[in-house]
Amino acid sequence: MSTEGKMSVKNRARLALNNDFLRSAVRFTTERLRSGKIQASADHGSWDEWRERGRQIRLHTIANLDYYLTQFADNARANGVHVHFADTAEEAVQLSLNIAKQKSAQSVVKSKSMVSEELHLNKALESIGVEAVETDLGEYIIQLADETPSHIIIPAIHKNRYQIADLLSKEAGETLPPDTSILAGFVRNKLREKFLDAEIGMTGCNFAIAETGSMVLFENEGNARMVTTVPKTQITLMGMERIIPSWTDLEVMATLLPRSATGQKLTVYMSGITGPRRDEDGDGPDEMHIIILDNGRSLQLGDPEFQELLNCIRCGACLNACPVYRQIGGHAYGGTYSGPIGAVLTPALKKNVAEWDDIANASSLCGACYEACPVKIPLHDMLVSLRRRKVEAGRGNKLEGLGMKGFAAIMNNSKRYRAVIRLGKIGQKLVARSGEIRLKAGPLKGWNTYRVTPTLPKHSFRDKWPTLEQEIRGGLQNMPSGMEQRLQNIMKDRNKGGGS
Amino acid sequence: MSSDSHEAWLAELEAASRQKQETFMNGIASKLRRPRVTNRPDQPFRGAPDFWESFQWSSEERISMFTQNFQAAGGHVIHVADAVQAADFITNKAEEMKAARLLMQNQPSLLALDLQQRLSQAEISVWNDQPETDWRAKAAEADFGIVEADYAAAYTGSMTVMSSANKGRSVSLLPTVLIAIIPVDRLKTRLGEIMSDFDAAGREGLPAGIHFISGPSRSADIENDLTIGVHGPGIVYAVLVDSW
Amino acid sequence: MKISLFVTCLSDTLFPRVTESMVRLLARYGLQLEFPELQTCCGQPAYNSGYWDEARASAKTILDAFDDSDFVVSPSGSCTYMVHHYSSLFKDDPVYLQKAELLQKKTYEFSQFLVQVLGVTDVGATFKHKVTYHPSCHGSRLLGVKEEPMELLRSVKGLELVPLPFADDCCGFGGTFAVKMADISGAMVTEKVDHIVETEASVLAGLDMACLMNIAGNLRYRGEKVRVMHLAELLYEGLEEKEVKQA
Repeated sequence: MSTEGKMSVKNRARLALNNDFLRSAVRFTTERLRSGKIQASADHGSWDEWRERGRQIRLHTIANLDYYLTQFADNARANGVHVHFADTAEEAVQLSLNIAKQKSAQSVVKSKSMVSEELHLNKALESIGVEAVETDLGEYIIQLADETPSHIIIPAIHKNRYQIADLLSKEAGETLPPDTSILAGFVRNKLREKFLDAEIGMTGCNFAIAETGSMVLFENEGNARMVTTVPKTQITLMGMERIIPSWTDLEVMATLLPRSATGQKLTVYMSGITGPRRDEDGDGPDEMHIIILDNGRSLQLGDPEFQELLNCIRCGACLNACPVYRQIGGHAYGGTYSGPIGAVLTPALKKNVAEWDDIANASSLCGACYEACPVKIPLHDMLVSLRRRKVEAGRGNKLEGLGMKGFAAIMNNSKRYRAVIRLGKIGQKLVARSGEIRLKAGPLKGWNTYRVTPTLPKHSFRDKWPTLEQEIRGGLQNMPSGMEQRLQNIMKDRNKGGGS
Repeated sequence: MSSDSHEAWLAELEAASRQKQETFMNGIASKLRRPRVTNRPDQPFRGAPDFWESFQWSSEERISMFTQNFQAAGGHVIHVADAVQAADFITNKAEEMKAARLLMQNQPSLLALDLQQRLSQAEISVWNDQPETDWRAKAAEADFGIVEADYAAAYTGSMTVMSSANKGRSVSLLPTVLIAIIPVDRLKTRLGEIMSDFDAAGREGLPAGIHFISGPSRSADIENDLTIGVHGPGIVYAVLVDSW
Repeated sequence: MKISLFVTCLSDTLFPRVTESMVRLLARYGLQLEFPELQTCCGQPAYNSGYWDEARASAKTILDAFDDSDFVVSPSGSCTYMVHHYSSLFKDDPVYLQKAELLQKKTYEFSQFLVQVLGVTDVGATFKHKVTYHPSCHGSRLLGVKEEPMELLRSVKGLELVPLPFADDCCGFGGTFAVKMADISGAMVTEKVDHIVETEASVLAGLDMACLMNIAGNLRYRGEKVRVMHLAELLYEGLEEKEVKQA
């Protein structure tokens, strides 16, 4: 059940807001992850220095992406990897299907990959008769439910144990109790068979190390290790921006990613895979493919407002910090990526502004995402840029556009502004009762469904100012000694280039 | 599918990929509004912040912090003086848990633990010591996997296991219980001390699999309820050995 | 030295008491504020909605109004931070770009001005109430005003400051967001007010009238008695209260 593109953001949000379980589950989980993140970054100390370092490494790599990506491809090939490039989702899907056909695969086991979600690869594999099995516990659950992940890190955040027990019972052919360890035990056994049967293991890629051609995976369950160890063929899907230059740079990412995602010092497993198994090795894939995907990412290259989006390390910290995500969960965002990063990425990955929905409006611009981001991506500013581009492209809301024209006409002149306040005071008499407005109609409908509105007082500040100014001038006290000098010094500093 | 035709298929893909690579990279350069970067750029910031590079714990601190961090992640830590005590520990654990099958890496120091002698009732296998065995299956049915870690980092409570012909990745992954010997002289303070060795080794010096392990396999995917042992080993012992 | 008042349209039209308290409080330190009537709105509603031409029309009144001021002080962290966006808003207009860069350096939010500029952390007020504080997002997160209001509140005599759970979470205002995404915004303010009520404080203090209007609107809607005050109001009332008693 993909909700993508069928409803407006508002309606999707309304559905989510009426789902009490969803809301409490999302709140509970995001709170746990968020406090874990805050704790882990505080414990580590100098967090801002680490963030800045992470940002600098990402900025540099993206600014020289052609160099590092070429270096990675050369080294990966030298390691025996088959490297492929895909401009679009369709190309990446075709490459994957081509390999599956060549290998006469019946079954593919997969570890969590957001790129794979972007490609809707499972459906494509199924269409040629290949079974695709998600092996991350949360992904497996939502695959059984025929849904999409609602969180980058905790895909099944929106499901409770009873729903999960029902789904797994169907798969087991017997009734399983809603007990976490029993359910997880069932999945362990079930998927063990799948790992051993599958011809192909498919993974995402957290980071790719240019200098050695290695790909790095972070995970807690061990399923990504299974996928890269057991099947004979490995396919790795990788966004073109996943590159970092070196292993020492990986230390920085390994410091930022798990702490930001779950509050862990390091995930249980961090695996660096450098090519297929060596001839003499007893396990590991015989053949390894890496598909490097653009799919709209290069739209951000060279765009000063959005290039930093490519710095994202997909930790999910912005989701956990976001007060909007907390209320509506991931599906309401209607795309592969949810939360603040999704609200920016989903439109930014599409060239045609006409295809952008209103998702960039689903933010109060509070900046919690920016504060949480381990590589300091200014998502709140990007949301404003998206809104502006939509307006510039003539695709803003018509009524809002008229309103804004009115706003400009009033606000560009203080006399007109003052006249409008006067009119407002007259107008509100129709709806105001004892100093407040409770009317749930017209432009106040949404606001007054949850609040009351204060009325304009008899005198605005500027009405009062002449009297107030007189009064104050009469009773003005002396400036405390030293304060005048303080002010002078601040002005001097400012002229030297300092300031607030 | 003959291997020849498979090679031909791969060669065809390779040719297509190399051609595509050129347009892909040229596209990036043109988006960035500059010519292709073909010489290695100066990297203004590489690796961890400077203050971190000089951060160092004493040997005692490393041991105590590794222990604390590894335990916090749900792992167990035992600190012993030498190989004999390590062997004692493994023997006792195997007897206590009634381990019937043990699989270990093919390492001289692990073989020298003499587990075959000590656990005569159990089946003890040594990774990849004969070609005809299905080693994946062997690992999957093992109760204990026994490995010697190549490195460990105290700050994150992690150990590093590197693959080779004698050191299968499956040994630390498929068995129910993982026992990892960590000689204390391989225990570093920071991850970066390990990473810099990999940079120094370079592409040709790296094995196919490098695995950092920081506790038992876990998941919180069902209602945030922590579950241990989802796919990888649910019980992990780190055995710190002073003299190995 | 010219110290000017950046009243903000909301405090001008709906909450004149707030600005008045601020002006009276600063007068106690010998500051005669000047009020350039040219100013209207900082332009944030249009800017945030993507209507930058319209935002510029409004922002110009601010840039013109404070051209020759040495310091500008405002009762809103959000409007103060809006001035920081002016350099991108006017990046293609050299004349206004220069004004924008200057104004950013000389504009301060009220508590920032008291603590950082005047060096005042204790105004000498007494306020015998249980108070909780909501740090508005733009002021605290983007402008970086976190410690200043806490310092000022902590030095008020008789005031019992109780921590607000999840204080850093947005109240759900977000300008036009509250109208466009009314249900999400409503859920957010409802949660914020739940936390405020949970503290059993009798007063909620803050630094931004937009957020405070949002929160007060929900409190009133639910019939909760918590009093909502801008910090300037609270401090000034605390001074008056003390003086009335002394007299």
